[in-house]
Amino acid sequence: MKSKDKMGYLFIIPSLILIFALILYPVFNTLYLSFFNYRVQTMALGKTFVGLRNFIKIFNDETFFKSLKFTLLFTVVAVSMETIIGMIFANIMNRKLPGQGIIRTSVLIPWAIPTIISGLMWKFMYSQQYGIINHIFLKLQFIKEAIPWLSDSFVAVIAVIIADVWKTTPYMSLLILSGLQTIPIQLYEAAAIDGANRKDIFLKITLPLIKPVLSVAILFRVLATFRIYDLIAVLTSGGPANATQSLSLYTIKTYFDFGNIGYGAALATVTFIISLLISLLFLDSLKSKLE
Amino acid sequence: MLKLSDIKNNKYLVNFLYLIFFIFFVGTIAFPFIWQFLNSFKTQRDLFSVPPTFWPTEWTLENYIDAFTRQPFLSYIKNSFVIAILSTFLSITIGSLASYSISRTNIKFKKTYLLLLLSITLLPPITIVNPLYMLMRSLNLLNSYLGLAIVNTIFGLPLAVWFLSGFFDTIPKELEESALIDGATIFQAFYKIIVPLVIPGIFTVSILVFIAAWNQYLFAQILNPLRVRRTITVGITLYQTDYTIPWGTISAASIIVTVPLLILVLLLQRKIISGMLEGGVKG
Repeated sequence: MKSKDKMGYLFIIPSLILIFALILYPVFNTLYLSFFNYRVQTMALGKTFVGLRNFIKIFNDETFFKSLKFTLLFTVVAVSMETIIGMIFANIMNRKLPGQGIIRTSVLIPWAIPTIISGLMWKFMYSQQYGIINHIFLKLQFIKEAIPWLSDSFVAVIAVIIADVWKTTPYMSLLILSGLQTIPIQLYEAAAIDGANRKDIFLKITLPLIKPVLSVAILFRVLATFRIYDLIAVLTSGGPANATQSLSLYTIKTYFDFGNIGYGAALATVTFIISLLISLLFLDSLKSKLE
Repeated sequence: MLKLSDIKNNKYLVNFLYLIFFIFFVGTIAFPFIWQFLNSFKTQRDLFSVPPTFWPTEWTLENYIDAFTRQPFLSYIKNSFVIAILSTFLSITIGSLASYSISRTNIKFKKTYLLLLLSITLLPPITIVNPLYMLMRSLNLLNSYLGLAIVNTIFGLPLAVWFLSGFFDTIPKELEESALIDGATIFQAFYKIIVPLVIPGIFTVSILVFIAAWNQYLFAQILNPLRVRRTITVGITLYQTDYTIPWGTISAASIIVTVPLLILVLLLQRKIISGMLEGGVKG
């Protein structure tokens, strides 16, 4: 072996140690503990093997299904909105118009603000009595009476989605913009000469060409939205009546509030498996990322 | 003639629509932040007036004083800063070593390694939170700077390796080879020749890792719950009690945390955008 290659192995070892200790071991540890009854309150007694009992319990757990339903709904709606709005924004940002610098700069504001702080900002804006949103809506006569943004089960879901879309759409539009900018302008010119209309140009040139960028972006957004924790922890704490409780929030509560490590591990395992399945759906676009 | 004026009208219409979009876009994006900024200078009376007043009727610094006196906010800032710097340093050191191997040497299992890195970005943190908690507890690293920084490092690693190995690829091999011929060791060639050339890349990765570490909440909350090692993101949620939410204080604290970050981002926006786009799509 060349001495340079030896150096190569040496240089990669520190990162491998971290990956094994902080990613691989914990993943397998969680999978392992999901087969045990293991509680903080009775930790001294150790853990007892219960087979698949934790998973059977999950299938009869209404709170779990409520969290799963909310998380999936939230993911689908929020990511679709981000993608559609992001696409529109990116198309506008791709034109040579004045003020683009300001647009691109302002795009980074929601991205840079810590999610926790944006959650707090929205929480006060959503306040039923003192909130600015109700005030503006009442003034513009969009609504007749103040909306209980965070205390009504249905509206709270919408409120969380709006806050998330505000935070992540700008980022999405930057990613889509980067895809748009790789499309050679000659293609559009040629299409225009051939008499193609806007719809054809979008469907037959733009969309196919940004598909690789777009599908990777959507995958990462789907996974990030699916694991949502920060925003909900601060905005609603999962309430009212668990209407906005995400799987991550439920798992954290099970682990650290209820001290039920075995059941928490089973919930974390289910979250892990769903994320894995989502990733497999996007396998082709992931392959392109590795090459 | 008719046609020409049509086109002209159309152009005015497009410009007009663009203007509306522009105001709406920048307004919606910036408003929550501006609102928070104004609220941080309002008195209790203004904050809880119905209907809300846009401008403070009386500007006050009370909220800023409260932010530091109700909680040890200065110590939170210090903790967040130390942890973010430590995370950045570790990610850059470990990441650039790994990037060098990926980009410059013929080691086996490169693909497997990159796949492992990719899986880190795909993995829900919730899957590993409890084992990491127990691991840090047994290593006596709960409520420490290092424990949380190591966890931030592992999440910064994929970005660092992706971005930096791309940078290493652009450096001509001859540079390094001539150094080796001149009698330098491989390690010397690495940190004397190669590393200085990738400083711009290191800088971009540093900003992104720093911001991600600064914004970390889930692991900060679980690993560093004690007041003395608490970070800003965790501390800022603790001004509220079961009975009251002091919005003025929270707004002031948010502004203190956000403004330096925004200045950093606006100054370095080109680098940040290139890092965000290049280093993969991380949420």
